[in-house]
Amino acid sequence: MSVPSTPPPPPGPDSRRSRFAEKLLPGGTEPDPRFTLANERTFLAWIRTSLALLAGGIAVEAFTTDVFPEPIRRGLSVLLLLLGMLLSAGSAVRWLRVEASLRSNRPLPLPLIGPLLAAGCAVAAAVVIAVVVLA
Amino acid sequence: MDENPATAPLPGDGPLDGDPGLQPERTALAWGRTVLTLIAASAMSLRWIPDQGPFVLAMFGLTVATGTGIYATQRRRYRRSVEGIRAGHLTPDTAAVFWTAGACVVLGALGVCLVLS
Repeated sequence: MSVPSTPPPPPGPDSRRSRFAEKLLPGGTEPDPRFTLANERTFLAWIRTSLALLAGGIAVEAFTTDVFPEPIRRGLSVLLLLLGMLLSAGSAVRWLRVEASLRSNRPLPLPLIGPLLAAGCAVAAAVVIAVVVLA
Repeated sequence: MDENPATAPLPGDGPLDGDPGLQPERTALAWGRTVLTLIAASAMSLRWIPDQGPFVLAMFGLTVATGTGIYATQRRRYRRSVEGIRAGHLTPDTAAVFWTAGACVVLGALGVCLVLS
């Protein structure tokens, strides 16, 4: 993303912010609006990723009755649902941390939910492979 | 003065959102895609209606209500982004972000309850 061309907003507390926002994101100044919107879209991309995992978890339980034995099916479904829940909560936390970094002009935090997603998907895939190979 | 015709301001009031990057439009579309994914994900649970009718309908109702809320505020959201970019100042939509993430966590929790019941 290019360097913002708009002038920085004036410092100081802003009466237009809600008390909720004031409490969660204290201090700093409002960043370039385009960065705030980009952060929001990144959050939404993470949320859609977590929704895909939730949908996968629901689908495994709902549609694979004849494919997987019951304990495997339930385990896989719960694993995907828990991963989706963790990722949903984590994406909100990440959104907040990025927004706080933008407000105080600090470097952006590393996405901890990235490794979480990779590890969770690897475990789920390993379970499916094991079931297919051992079946 | 911007000499590039692709990025030069339009005559009159300027481009619709004053932003050649179309950020308000992309953000509104991202919200729309998220609503569709949310509804699609929870619609899969409708498969359980014969066994767990009321529970599944409550779960589906939560996501439909969330999706309706997001769609109903799309125009307001777009306008807010446009005005924010014009003013160089935009307050983050904290409530929408946390409501959406919360709905996903609840959807997952209800799903786990359904699977283990």
